[in-house]
Amino acid sequence: MFKYILKRILIFIPTLLIISIMVFALNLYAPGDPVYNMAGIDPNSQKPLKPAAYNAIKSELGLDKPTFYFTLSSKAYPDTLYRIPKKEHQQTLSRLIGTYGNWDEIREYHKSVERIETAVMAIPKDSLNPKALIKIKDNIKGLYALYEDDKIQKNFKRADKSILSTPSTSVIKPLMDDMTAKYAAMVNNPTTWKTKVPSINWYGFNNQYHNWFSKFMRFDFGKSYQSKRPISEEIGERIYWTMLISILSIIIVYLLSIPLGIFSARKKDTVADSSVTTILFILYSLPSFWIATLLIVFFCNPEYINWFPPYGVGDPPDGAGFFQTFRIRAYHLILPLFCWSYGSLAFLSRQMRGGMLSVLRQDYVRTARAKGVDEKKVVWKHAIRNSLLPIITLFGNIFPAMISGSIVIEIIFSLPGMGQYLYQAIVYKNFPVVSTIVMMVGFLTMLGFLIVDILYAVVDPRIKFD
Amino acid sequence: MSKVQLQQHFNTKDMFGRKKKATDEKELSQSYWAYVSRQFKKNKRALYSLYIIGFLAIIALLADFLANEKPILCKYEGKMYMPIFKQYAVTLGLAKWPEHFKAGDWKEKEYDFVVWAPIPYLPNNLDYGASWANPFGEQQVKSIRWRHWLGTDDLGRDVMSGMIHGTRIAFMVGIIAMGIACIIGIFLGACAGYFGDSGLELTRGGLIVNIIALLLAFFYGFYSRTYAMSDAMEISFATGLWSIFLGVLIFLGIMVIANIIAIPFRKIPFFNKRVAFPVDIAITRVIEVIRSIPLLVIILAIVAVAEPSIFLVMAVIGLFSWTGIARFIRGELLRVRQLEYVEAANALGFSQMRTMFKHAIPNSLSPVFIAVAFGIASAILAEAFLSFLGLGVPAETITWGKMLAISRTNPSAWWFAIFPGFAIFVTVTLFNLIGEGLTDALDPRLKQ
Repeated sequence: MFKYILKRILIFIPTLLIISIMVFALNLYAPGDPVYNMAGIDPNSQKPLKPAAYNAIKSELGLDKPTFYFTLSSKAYPDTLYRIPKKEHQQTLSRLIGTYGNWDEIREYHKSVERIETAVMAIPKDSLNPKALIKIKDNIKGLYALYEDDKIQKNFKRADKSILSTPSTSVIKPLMDDMTAKYAAMVNNPTTWKTKVPSINWYGFNNQYHNWFSKFMRFDFGKSYQSKRPISEEIGERIYWTMLISILSIIIVYLLSIPLGIFSARKKDTVADSSVTTILFILYSLPSFWIATLLIVFFCNPEYINWFPPYGVGDPPDGAGFFQTFRIRAYHLILPLFCWSYGSLAFLSRQMRGGMLSVLRQDYVRTARAKGVDEKKVVWKHAIRNSLLPIITLFGNIFPAMISGSIVIEIIFSLPGMGQYLYQAIVYKNFPVVSTIVMMVGFLTMLGFLIVDILYAVVDPRIKFD
Repeated sequence: MSKVQLQQHFNTKDMFGRKKKATDEKELSQSYWAYVSRQFKKNKRALYSLYIIGFLAIIALLADFLANEKPILCKYEGKMYMPIFKQYAVTLGLAKWPEHFKAGDWKEKEYDFVVWAPIPYLPNNLDYGASWANPFGEQQVKSIRWRHWLGTDDLGRDVMSGMIHGTRIAFMVGIIAMGIACIIGIFLGACAGYFGDSGLELTRGGLIVNIIALLLAFFYGFYSRTYAMSDAMEISFATGLWSIFLGVLIFLGIMVIANIIAIPFRKIPFFNKRVAFPVDIAITRVIEVIRSIPLLVIILAIVAVAEPSIFLVMAVIGLFSWTGIARFIRGELLRVRQLEYVEAANALGFSQMRTMFKHAIPNSLSPVFIAVAFGIASAILAEAFLSFLGLGVPAETITWGKMLAISRTNPSAWWFAIFPGFAIFVTVTLFNLIGEGLTDALDPRLKQ
């Protein structure tokens, strides 16, 4: 028994690690540059971040570290590519490496582009015709995103033309020549073979994933892009409503479904049973977002029936007593609670009926009946204990269902809970929040499975781990 | 008598040459599947559900002909056209529209003779004159032929047409997502169940070579071709698929070559020691990982990162809902692998892969049908949910979920709350009923 629990907990750890790697990878492939997202600035805007500010945010986010413990890449890739500040530059360089494979030359070329950019930026605006200056700037900056030979050559030509046409830019002419020479060196001495040789780089523990995960385990989830507040704080404000409704709903569901299932099983093959079964089946198939929409359209609408408030959790006035607060809250939460619960109710009752039926066929129930035990006692004393076992484990299934259910119910009824938080994060591309919630949901679900497995082992000694 | 004749003889006559009774014949010709289909037909609810699903499938197939802005058949300037068929040819690049059809509204043209589709609108057609048309109210349309039977939205887009074309999307989502789930689920579940933790034995040398080859194959098959693949994907979906397929070929090729190279190593005793690879543990771990994140949450997270596309939604639903199928197949194969015929196949010296794919899997597929029926229901529900939230599905695609969401912007338009939601409910329920019917038919132990 102890051994089983220990084994179960040990298996919990690798699963958690794999989930964390999946979520981390998702974060990594999120579009856009996280630094710009955090700063709340469009990277193509007129006022991009200054390099110092950029690097400050980057190191605050921990993005100046290698991504993972190791990488599998080709020999052409340097193990220091992550030190290049901008994500866009990294991508272009990585493309160039994939094409030419000579990192030393590529780096020289990249540096020469940077040098020319700073030189162009240093030219005072009024010193020459501004149109030509903008043209030069655009063409030089465009180089950061280009990797195809013909397009780069075009940019070169256009920049050259603008420089020749405006004599006051002669300062940058030598730099320009230097850049063209570096570029030619890069194109003419490719070491493509290097891209075909695999290599594994080991970076050690000071990497982005390691730091992210260890922070996560200490409830430090980083900051939200939108509000710039710590995510843990924002979650703390919202988790109350989700937990309140989930717990209420679980209590209601278990209180109703167990007697309903037993009733249905005892009256098997009667009209009562078949009608209960049919109603439960229909309830089970009704999508909760449809029912919620229907309820809002027809019961919260002055045009039809205006019984309930369509959104929110209510706003009790200051100094309202417990009963007044309760009344206002209940008035607001009754529809969401119904939509949240009916699916699980139908599911659990059906399971309870099935479990009860299979227990009632067992030998020991027949024995109890044969020796003349009262039917009520057979059901409520002998059968119920064993038929409750599968219901306990279903808690593990209901929990994730409740979380996904919370998303839609909270959005439709505008409840300030976790589901709505996730939805808003997705709509506004607030990736740190998305990954935090996904990770949390995964963690909680796994914890649910773990607890259920242990409970099951405690309750039913026949269970053996295999 | 030849063998065939002999067989026919005994099919119709018993051992004394007398004609068999009809009942005997029925029992003799009854295969397992005939038995299952008979059991399924006994369940009237499931049977009628299957008929209705068939009917809906026909609607999905013929959606272009049932609701379209173009005529099915028309005579224009003395020439006959079949514009809907022509549209297919144009999409495939086989034909071009004549000049006079290129511009202008199809409905404004002067035809000598024309047959319109039953619903003469596409889901995206705008009809500003009929904004928020009520299905029962008066409508600003030319004649009853142009009536919006189930109403319109603010831009005058026809609901009936959206319902018909939505059927097609719902079915596509269900079938493609479950197709992907089946391929992954059957393969992994079968491996887990058939090999268990000790069934797949490798030599130590083989294990080492395979691990190294796996890394190399991944490197040459996919990693070093990342840019080539993404460029090909940008040209078109087909070239992208071809590029991925090439990657798979390279991957498999390297694995095969590595295993051939590994053969001489077997002569060294150290490398020839056999070790068991715990397939079952590995695969059940993967299943647990996927089960630990609720399907909707993971889909939402991926959709947040990626560009909206209906095919992405299908692929993601498929990639994360194979665990049910895998668990079914695993359980079934755990039982089947101990049966005599698998032992016989092993004794005959068939390779393990052959025994698994040709003998064990075909005999344990039946529970998969149950999982597929329920899986299609939940895939359709998941897609409807996503489009209800306005995520994952591009703006121009009209789906049931999207139409249902319109009722949130205008609660007075009750037809948006009722019709699309009802369609989702009915389709999901029918697939669930079929799943129940299959459960009863395939697993007689559960009946009673």
